[in-house]
Amino acid sequence: MAIQTGSKTIQIDYLKTIGIVNNGLNGRGFTSPYDLAVHKDGRIFVINRCDPLRSSAVRVGICNLDEDYLSEFGYGNGAGDGQMVWPVALAFDSKNRVFLTDEHNQRISIYDDSGKFLEKWGTAGSAEGELNGPAGIALDKEDNVYVVDQHNHRVQKFTNDGKYILGWGKLGSGPGEFDTPWGLAVDAEGDVYVADWRNDRIQKFSGDGQFLASYGESGQGEGQFQRPASVAVDDEGFIYVADWGNERVQILGPDGSFQVLLQGEATVSKWADDYFASNPEEKVERDNANLMPELPDHLSSPYHVSSQTESYFWGPVSVSLDGAGRLYVTETNRHRFQVYQKQ
Amino acid sequence: MTSTATRENTALMAHLLRRAGFGATRQELEGYLAKGYEAVVDDLLNPSDPQNMPDDVIRRYHPDQSELRDLTSSGAYWMYRMITTRCPLEEKIALFWHGLLATGYTKLNQARSQLNQIDMFRRSGLGSFRDLLLELSKDPAMLLWLDNNDNHNGAINENFGRELLELFSMGIGNYTEKDVKEGSRAFTGWTLGNAEYMAIRAFKDSIWPYSRIAWHFEYREQDHDNGEKTFLGETGNFNGEDIIDIIAKQEASARFLTTRLFQFFAADDVSEDGEKTITEMMKTYFDSGYEIRAVLRTLFNSEYFKSESVRYARVKGPVELIVGAMRLAGSYQSPTLGIEKITNQSFFMGQGLLNPPTVEGWHEGSEWIDSGVLVERVNFVAQEMGNTSRPGVRDIIDRLSAGSSDSLTPDELVDRCLDLIGPITVSDETRDTLVGFAKRQGDLNLIDHQPGDEAEQRVGNMLRLVASSREFQLA
Repeated sequence: MAIQTGSKTIQIDYLKTIGIVNNGLNGRGFTSPYDLAVHKDGRIFVINRCDPLRSSAVRVGICNLDEDYLSEFGYGNGAGDGQMVWPVALAFDSKNRVFLTDEHNQRISIYDDSGKFLEKWGTAGSAEGELNGPAGIALDKEDNVYVVDQHNHRVQKFTNDGKYILGWGKLGSGPGEFDTPWGLAVDAEGDVYVADWRNDRIQKFSGDGQFLASYGESGQGEGQFQRPASVAVDDEGFIYVADWGNERVQILGPDGSFQVLLQGEATVSKWADDYFASNPEEKVERDNANLMPELPDHLSSPYHVSSQTESYFWGPVSVSLDGAGRLYVTETNRHRFQVYQKQ
Repeated sequence: MTSTATRENTALMAHLLRRAGFGATRQELEGYLAKGYEAVVDDLLNPSDPQNMPDDVIRRYHPDQSELRDLTSSGAYWMYRMITTRCPLEEKIALFWHGLLATGYTKLNQARSQLNQIDMFRRSGLGSFRDLLLELSKDPAMLLWLDNNDNHNGAINENFGRELLELFSMGIGNYTEKDVKEGSRAFTGWTLGNAEYMAIRAFKDSIWPYSRIAWHFEYREQDHDNGEKTFLGETGNFNGEDIIDIIAKQEASARFLTTRLFQFFAADDVSEDGEKTITEMMKTYFDSGYEIRAVLRTLFNSEYFKSESVRYARVKGPVELIVGAMRLAGSYQSPTLGIEKITNQSFFMGQGLLNPPTVEGWHEGSEWIDSGVLVERVNFVAQEMGNTSRPGVRDIIDRLSAGSSDSLTPDELVDRCLDLIGPITVSDETRDTLVGFAKRQGDLNLIDHQPGDEAEQRVGNMLRLVASSREFQLA
C-alpha cells in the first residue's frame, strides 16, 4: 500500500513471518518473545521472556531473515550476573553491545554480540538515576542511553556506562507527564518518542526532555490507540506504533498524521512448514478450515478477534526497524514476528 | 443499637459475605454494614462495577496470562480476578457454575475458550436459567467437552444430550432414554467453527505453529436433523432452543437448580428447615421466569439462611479458602511474580481451576478434606495470615493497636483476633487452646509497635493459629 503524506510517501508490504512456539527450554522457536533488535550484520536478537513453567530458560534467541536459528544466550532466571527475570526490551549501541532492561531486577544488563555478559547497572528506587520497572530502551548517536522508568512514570537518560544525565516526567496525563510508559525510540535528529501506555498516546521530546508533541488519543479509530506498547521511527521520520490493546500496528507521518494500519497477515514460517511436514493429518484439516472466521458479538473485541484469527497480530508488544527499511512486529502471544518491507 | 446487636449484625454480614463472596475484611464489612443487609444482598446480586485488576495490566506483566496457553497461567488469571473483584458474587456464581456445568482442560487443551465460558457464567450466571442453558448449549468448550461436534444428523452422539438432562438440569430419574435420544437429535449441527481442525488440535494438544486458536460456536444447518421429535411428552419439529424451553419449565429442573444453589450457598446437607427453604426457592423460580438472581435473593433473605444453624455449615472449597485468605491478607493486589503458585495450591488441595476431574465437577462438602489435604489447607492460610507484612494483616495489627491504650490480656488478644479475622465463632475447646497459647507470653503491648517487631509477630502468630482452626476451614 502506498500513501502520500506531505512531500513523503510510504509504501510498505508484508514480507514474511518468522517463528514457531517453543515449548521447551531452548532451541529453535520463541517463548513469549517480548522485543527484538536487529544487529548491523542482519542477525535478529529476540527476547524470550518465557512463561512460569519455562522461566528458567529466559534468554535471547538469535536468528536471521533467512530463518536460520543461529544461537541463543541466557544465564538462567535470577539476579546474578547476566541473569534475567522479567526482561522487557533490548537495543544495540554503536559497538554492537546489547543493552537489555529487566523490570523485575530493576537494572540494565549489557552483553557483547556473542552473548557474553559484560556488566550491569541500575539501582531500585525513585531518586534521580534510580529505577522502578525499567522498560523501553534506546540509544542515541552518542551512545547515551534512554530508559523508560515505568513505575516512576518518567524517562531517564544515562551515559553509556550508566551515569545519570537527566530525566523528565511524572504521573499524569498532561504534556510531558506519563502513566506507566512502556517503549521508546530515538530518531535521527535525537528526538525521543515514548509509548505513553496508559495514556493511549505517543509523546515526542527533544533529547533533553523538552516536550514537542503528542500524538493520538484513546480509541479504536485511525490515529487512536489502546495501550501503545512500542514505538519506532525511521530515517524519514515515519512513526511506527505497536497499538497493543487494539492488536494492530499504526504508521504515522512525521507530523503525527495517520498513514497506514497493519492488522497482521502472518503466513506459515519455514519452521512451521517443518512442523506440518511431520504432522500431515493436522495440515489436511487446517487446509480445510476457515482461519478468518466471523465471530459473535461477545467475541468482537480486538483481543478476542486476534485470539481466533491466527494471521492477525496477537499481543504485538514491539515494533523494530533495521537498516534496510524493514519493520519487525513481535507478537508475544503468537511466538513469532512478522516482517514488512518499506519500499 | 446495643453492642450485642452490633456484634450480631456484623456476624450476619460476615456470614453473608462468606457465602455470597469470599469473606470480607473489616473495612469492607464496615462499608456493607452501613448499607444494611437487604441492600447488600441486592448489590451482590446486581454486580455492576467489579474494579478487579484490569486485563491490560495483567496482560502486560504476565504475557502468559494474555496468551492463556496453559492451565497454570489460565488459573492464575482467574485467581487475580477473584482476589481483586469488588463484586464477589459475580465470581462466586461463576465458580458455582464451573463446578456444576463442568468442562476440563485435560480434554480440551483450550483454556482461552474455557475462560470465555467463565465470562459467560459471569454474564448470564445470575439471569434466566433457560438463557444460561441455551448459552451453554452454544458454548464451544462445552460442545467439544461432550462431543457434540460428533453429533450428526442420522448418527447422533448422545453425550451432550444426556448430560444436559442428567447433570445440568433435571437429574436422573426424571426423563427416559428416548428423551435423551430425541434431545440429542435436536442438537445435531450445533458445533464449533472449524470443528474438525480444532478437534484434532485438542486431541493432540497441538500448540503449533503459533499457539492456540480460540473457539466460537457454529450452527451447521445441513447437519441438523429437521425431523419430528417427541421430548418429555411434547412433540414437534424441535431444535435445541425448543428443548431448552421444555427443560426449563419442568418442576424437576426447578428442584435440581434450587437444591444445588442451596448446597453451594447455604449448607452442604439439606435439613427439614432447609427443605422448606428450597420449596420457597422453587416457587420463586417459577414466579420470576426462572431467574437465578431472584432465587438467590429468596435464599439470602430467608430466616433459615440468617439463622445460627447455617453458620459454618459448609466446608470451604479450596478456591474459596485460598481466595478468602488472600483477600483478607491483602496479597496479590497487583501483578506479582509467582501468582501461578497460588493456582498450584488449589490444585494440591483438590480443586484445580478449569480442570475438574470429571463431567460431574468436584465432590464437595466434607469430601474436600482428607488428612493430606488438611495439612495443605492449614499451611496455606496460616502462612498468609501469619505474615505481618501483608497489608490486610497490618490493618488488623493497626486496629488492635488503635483500640487499646493498655496492654491486651491473652483473653482480649484472642477475642479481638477472632473478631477481626471474621468475626468467627469457635468452640470453647478451640478458644481455650488459643488463650493457652497467648498466656505463654503474657499480656501484649502494641504501643509504639514497629513493622515486624516482636509484638507484631505475636499478633501474626495468633492469627496463624486462628487461621489453623477448624472453624476457619468452614464457611
